[in-house]
Amino acid sequence: MTHTEGGKRGGGIRGWIEERFNLAPAIEFASHKQVPEWKGSFWYYFGGVSLFLFIVQVATGILLLMYYQPGDKTAFESVRFIVTKVKFGWLIRSIHSWAANLFILSVFIHMFSVYFTKAFRRPRELTWYSGFILLGLAFAFGFSGYLLPWNTLAYFATKVGTTIVAVLPGLGEPIMELLRAGKDVSTATLTRFYGLHVAIFPALFTVILGVHLMLIQTQGMHEPESWDQVPQGKRRYMPFFPNFVLRDLLLWLIVLNVLAILAVWFPWELGKKAEPFAAAPGGIKPEWYFLFMYQALKYFPAKLAGLDGEVVGIILFGIAGLLWFLVPLWDSHTPGGMRNRVNTYVGILVVLFMIIFTALGVK
Amino acid sequence: MACAAHPALAQSDSATAKPPAAATPPAAASTPTAPKPAVDQCYACHSEQETPAATTYKNDVHRTVGVTCAGCHGGDPTTDDQDAAMSKAKGFVGVPKKDQIPAMCGKCHGPGENAYKSRYKLDDAFGDFKESVHGHALAGNPKGPQCISCHGVHEIARVADARSPVHPTHVVETCAKCHSDAAYMRDFSPTLPVDQKEKYLTSVHGKRHAMGDPKVATCVSCHSNHRIFQAKDPRANVYPTNVPKTCAHCHGDAKYMAGYGIPTNQYSDYVQSVHGKALLVKTDLNAPACNSCHGNHGAAPPGVSSVIAVCGRCHQMNQELYERSAHRAVFEGKKLPGCVVCHGNHNVQPASDRIVSFEPQSPCARCHVNTPADKAAPDIRRLHLVLDSLSTGQTAALAVLDRAENLGMDVSDARYSLKDVNQSAVQARVSIHSFKVKEVEEAARPGIAIIAQARTAGQEAIHEYGFRRQGLAVSTLIVTFLVIMLWLKIRDIEKKQKEKGR
Repeated sequence: MTHTEGGKRGGGIRGWIEERFNLAPAIEFASHKQVPEWKGSFWYYFGGVSLFLFIVQVATGILLLMYYQPGDKTAFESVRFIVTKVKFGWLIRSIHSWAANLFILSVFIHMFSVYFTKAFRRPRELTWYSGFILLGLAFAFGFSGYLLPWNTLAYFATKVGTTIVAVLPGLGEPIMELLRAGKDVSTATLTRFYGLHVAIFPALFTVILGVHLMLIQTQGMHEPESWDQVPQGKRRYMPFFPNFVLRDLLLWLIVLNVLAILAVWFPWELGKKAEPFAAAPGGIKPEWYFLFMYQALKYFPAKLAGLDGEVVGIILFGIAGLLWFLVPLWDSHTPGGMRNRVNTYVGILVVLFMIIFTALGVK
Repeated sequence: MACAAHPALAQSDSATAKPPAAATPPAAASTPTAPKPAVDQCYACHSEQETPAATTYKNDVHRTVGVTCAGCHGGDPTTDDQDAAMSKAKGFVGVPKKDQIPAMCGKCHGPGENAYKSRYKLDDAFGDFKESVHGHALAGNPKGPQCISCHGVHEIARVADARSPVHPTHVVETCAKCHSDAAYMRDFSPTLPVDQKEKYLTSVHGKRHAMGDPKVATCVSCHSNHRIFQAKDPRANVYPTNVPKTCAHCHGDAKYMAGYGIPTNQYSDYVQSVHGKALLVKTDLNAPACNSCHGNHGAAPPGVSSVIAVCGRCHQMNQELYERSAHRAVFEGKKLPGCVVCHGNHNVQPASDRIVSFEPQSPCARCHVNTPADKAAPDIRRLHLVLDSLSTGQTAALAVLDRAENLGMDVSDARYSLKDVNQSAVQARVSIHSFKVKEVEEAARPGIAIIAQARTAGQEAIHEYGFRRQGLAVSTLIVTFLVIMLWLKIRDIEKKQKEKGR
């Protein structure tokens, strides 16, 4: 007997669907799912905001795909066509760009909230790892998408960005050539970045995002560490559905408003078409989310421990990233079972480092 | 061996046959600046023999200042022993090869310091020659020109001396010896014309030269004497960007030109002109220099009838239109010099749209009056209006586009299209030379249409800006309304949940 043949079924649309697909387990799951309610509950919403912004990017990205043409002779022209001739093309492109930046910001907030609330601890290590990979993919999305309009700033920023990799001894040059699809940033790089941006990264991101969301749903929201001392009866929860979902929706609407205001009042500039043979304009900088690394590399001395300062910097950033990724392995409770404050201080230092060096880079 | 032709010298052979090497060092003996011996034995002997070299050397400027034969030919001028005097050990070189001559002259007329150089203020003619087109020609072909080609051999005179081949009255002939010889010139520069002298003789310079005017320009006045370069060489005085200054060297010098009855402000006018700025500021080598209009070797002011042809070499379309205009016959009838009447000659300014108007500076106002009696008055007013509508229309359209851009709108296409207005404006300005309203209107029409389109595009962009803001306001209001409704709904749900929980 299939589930459609027995049991009580409702009428209307729900009934029609339930006749064909058993919604009961999902409804059952959602109605019993609880979200901890405490002073840090606000941070839970940034995962949802990130998801919303990702959806916005997918939707606007698909619309941009209808007109965008990769290639050094068509990319800039097609984006210009989108923003000047296509109805609401300016809005779609501007929202796509703003959503990408707000997405990275939201992901950063989400990541640090998870870090400071120790939500990465057992049994949520896999959620942390998958989240970290999603962050890396978000960077890759940003880096590859930045080049696609083929404007001067994007061209030279990509050139600088890919050159940084080349300083790594041994593998640096081959990696750079793999990224650029040749010795220099060219139309081949553009088509490669395009392929990565619209096909490979979205596919990878969707799969890992699926795993990430599945883990969150099955494990539930992380309860604060301080609740270890709170008796079960005194812990407060909010139903996931409809309370949390509706609040999520409310925040999404606010974010949508912010996006619309940014897109209309501060439309994303297209700039001038890239001229590969022209001299690089002054003040070439990467996107703001890479700026702290770019700026920090400038402060490294020319030589350090017999190696190029830049190489040492990149290796150090690599090690720091790896340690951040592996935080569930090295973070531990204090012998007394209390919160390990060292980790919190490390996190604060990282946040301060990023803010200070980004500010220095912006100047 | 003693000099057999001169007994006195022969008698002294025994005394001077083998002088001790230390007494008269060969190097010193073969230096032009070496102290002059009491008797220049080479010259004495050759004079006795009446050799052509000695005969002509008698009046040579070098001899008069004490340069002995050995000064150039080496050897020992103190001895009458032919073997000793012409001994290679004493630096005797005899008749030098042609391509060795510049270096030989350069011993005094070269870069180094010596007694003659400071005494007679000699310049580094050898160094200049080596760099020059003649020096390069000689380096590549021993038949090439060298010092004696122009200055002669043993009868060299000062430039100021009328006997000198390079004296202003002779220098044209001297240069023409080679430069009018097609067979000779073929070996060096087959494409270089050989009619410079013929043209020069037809020029104002050449005619005055033929009349014996010593101040008038000759070849060296423009090309210099030793530092001569090809006209395409930027170091040449006759390189396009150097030509105005070269001409102004004389024509800008009021004192020098006194007595000729011509103005000396051509250069100061020219540098302010559209031509001068193009050539000297933008270094556009296609822009005309003095010789472009006056000719170079055949330089003369263009006559009244030839002005149109001269300007028309570059401004072809203007010439064609003018030639079929009503003005041509009128100007020719009054012997007015065509283009120059409206545009001037040396101080030609970019033609502004005001050139066709009744404003005091306008050339039209010199002949026409803005009254009903003047039949041309309505056409002048109309032509001015058409030209003005292009420039003012473009400015107005740009202002609209600027406003749209300041609002953050992209109007780059419209801005780009405005560039074509310039093309239309140029065509309209050119067609002015037909002095026909219809033709000018026809030329201006595409530009006026582009201006209208660009203006519309700018206005639409400004309108679109307003629409976006309105759209944003509406969408923000809707979303905010939804947010409030949702918040109320959440509160309602939570209230009910609390009541249910109680």
